[in-house]
Amino acid sequence: MKWRLIALIVGALAILAGAVLIAHASPLASLQSLFHGSLGTPVAIAGTLKETTPLLICGLAVFIALRAGLFNIGVEGQLLVGACTCGVVATKFHGITGMVLGVICGMIAGTLWALPAALIKAYRNGHEVITTIMLNNIAMLITSMLVSGPLKDKAQSDTATPYVDANTRLPWVYSNPPVQINLALVLGVLLCLGMAYWLKKTVGGYELQAVGANRTAARFAGISPQKVTMVAMSISGALGGLAGAVQVLAYEGRFYDGFSPGYGFDALGVALLAGGNALLVLPSSLLFGILSKGGTALQIDGIPKGITTVVLGLLILIAAAIRFRQVTKDA
Amino acid sequence: MSFAVRLLGITKRFGSVTALDRVDLEVEQGAIHALVGENGAGKTTLMRVLYGALHADEGALELDGNAVRFNSSREAIAAGVGMVSQHYGIIPELTCLQNLILGAEGGPVLNGKVAEARAQQLAERMGFSFDWNADAATLSPASAQKLEILKLLWREARIMILDEPTAMLSPADSDALFESLEQLAKDGATIILVTHRLPEVLDHCSRVTVLRGGKRVDEKLVSTTNGPELAKMIVGEAIERYESEDCPSLGDAVLDLQSLTAKGARGDLALKEVCLNLKSGEMLGVAGVDGSGQRELFEVIAGLIKPISGSLQIVGNDGNNLGSWDRIEKGLRLIPEDRHAQGVVEEWSLDENAALGLQRLEPFAQKNLVDTDARKQMAGKIAERFKTKHGGLNLAMASLSGGNQQRFVAARSLCLNPKLILAFQPARGLDIKGTQQVYEGIREACRNGAAALIVSFDLDELLEQCDRIVAMNHGKLYEPQAGQSKDRDAIGRLMVGAQ
Repeated sequence: MKWRLIALIVGALAILAGAVLIAHASPLASLQSLFHGSLGTPVAIAGTLKETTPLLICGLAVFIALRAGLFNIGVEGQLLVGACTCGVVATKFHGITGMVLGVICGMIAGTLWALPAALIKAYRNGHEVITTIMLNNIAMLITSMLVSGPLKDKAQSDTATPYVDANTRLPWVYSNPPVQINLALVLGVLLCLGMAYWLKKTVGGYELQAVGANRTAARFAGISPQKVTMVAMSISGALGGLAGAVQVLAYEGRFYDGFSPGYGFDALGVALLAGGNALLVLPSSLLFGILSKGGTALQIDGIPKGITTVVLGLLILIAAAIRFRQVTKDA
Repeated sequence: MSFAVRLLGITKRFGSVTALDRVDLEVEQGAIHALVGENGAGKTTLMRVLYGALHADEGALELDGNAVRFNSSREAIAAGVGMVSQHYGIIPELTCLQNLILGAEGGPVLNGKVAEARAQQLAERMGFSFDWNADAATLSPASAQKLEILKLLWREARIMILDEPTAMLSPADSDALFESLEQLAKDGATIILVTHRLPEVLDHCSRVTVLRGGKRVDEKLVSTTNGPELAKMIVGEAIERYESEDCPSLGDAVLDLQSLTAKGARGDLALKEVCLNLKSGEMLGVAGVDGSGQRELFEVIAGLIKPISGSLQIVGNDGNNLGSWDRIEKGLRLIPEDRHAQGVVEEWSLDENAALGLQRLEPFAQKNLVDTDARKQMAGKIAERFKTKHGGLNLAMASLSGGNQQRFVAARSLCLNPKLILAFQPARGLDIKGTQQVYEGIREACRNGAAALIVSFDLDELLEQCDRIVAMNHGKLYEPQAGQSKDRDAIGRLMVGAQ
């Protein structure tokens, strides 16, 4: 019954083509400019990789929570508090110290931001989706308030923190302008490999996934779902905070109002598309990066950037359909 | 003498299983008639036939002397038959009034005032009081039960079937319930009471029908019978008695419970002052009807719920200091009741499932690292042990049939030198051969120094397999008197609370 899947994909493409036609553009030309805008030139590739970095780290944050059966919608908020904290710490300290402290404090801030949701989920069974969404709003408003007031750099007209020193910024591991690869991306890739290993090869990873797959059976196997919930949400929050911190140290150089275009939310798609395999977060985040960067190019052609969101939505649906077929075939 | 209900020669088969075999039931108008029997005796099935929820394969139904045929519960309700099932049909999000009238609103337009007035009238007649606009979620089990009875009255049921109505009630609430039932019967209602509890039968019913294994054993006037006789009819004569060939040599105490009291999921006292001592080498059966506290006993020993008082010693360690994993480390192994929900992760492979519940023990783990080669090897052994049929160790657990999953779960619990095996219906869903294999496996572990505590609702299975049997009833654990530890009648009496 493979034809159903093919029909689904053809249907999805038809919807896309239809949407592009409605926007008075040629589907083929749009595709071309999407890829040209994201992968066609060295500048575009550098931009895509830059876009991919926070998506990768945030994707891992969502992914680890998902493996424990938790929907951490709060990565966006965790990223914001992480970035804001790092933006402050990295201007107080300089060089390597500032870098390391900025990253650590960003991670701690992200963890603390995830903590209420973790506690409420673990010990009061309050749904993490609700609590993390609420924490997102709080994070957005608080960080916005902070950079408008107490943390605002008087020297700038923007509502932003001061820039961190050049020697406190994360270095480029490969720099041949315009193509540059930041240490942040390497860090993200290493984290991804590390997480894949941890989940597959350690007892902790096994137990975390047992809770995600069958909470009751995990309990009967001597695992505490409460503890696992706390651990998974803490790691998830720390990664969200890390994503924000490296975004400041690698690319932005400061924290400002409206810092994230929604990396934490796109990360949900990244993780869902990756399914059950941590290594697939890599290509998944790259794909999101391509579409995000290419979407900007599309916009110049007069096609709404939102079309890339439609593409992503359809991709996730198709991935879910394929996975569902695999599961039912096994059964 | 007029019969409100006559069920004649009812036979009901589910596939190859005959759940009811030519069962007759005659219930007098205005009586409280008890229907008793073990789990799986066919009581609920028979009542579902009367209620129109199941179709009999053979047999006839008469109400007030007229032959009837129900194609659905709706028709049965229209004819005046009402049923309160074991699991209440109360929807917590609706108000009490909405619950009361749900499905019997009497028209497309609801008139809240009229409905409330009538509801109030019915409640007063029964001596109940309800806040009609409160959410049903706020109801206690006893009030929910009362609301269920009012639902029957609302539908003008003349024949009321109550399936284990006191299962969730405190003794005081049960007494109040029976008072209302007796009032209803006096007013002309006919009540059929499905129950496990003999004192209820003896105190409140006029006639009693005993079912066993889908057959009617007998029907008696309550005034002409007594508890021990009924208990004997319920559990039947043992077909063959197992005498342990060799009296096992017992070692040190592996499990010791002292006045253990614990709460159940509903906040009631599900375990009351339970004392139990289990020595290595021993296979102990815990008999009792479903819901007598076996689940809580299992979970307290496994460390899944905390007792509110009392002490437990597990393999020589104070259980109050041990988490559920620590107990596994000390040699506790579980065969949970519901393999699907508690024993396996269905979407995981057999290989991955092999380590579940043993995941931190060698050889599954070496210093917190999963040893995948060892796990694969163990998975093969576990599957081999009771001949689990599977298509490959890397296939999902969901690809196995229930019986094969059970074999896998049972074999896994016998791995890595068990000291105390805690098994809840270990042969659930297995055929005779599989059952023998699993029990033989447990027995072998006990010969090697383990002890086993086996909960089953099937007394015959326990009599056949275990060295010693205790019974649970209403959260209390009863040891048969000396010399009666394998006495079917004595244990049967303890199970139903008829000493």
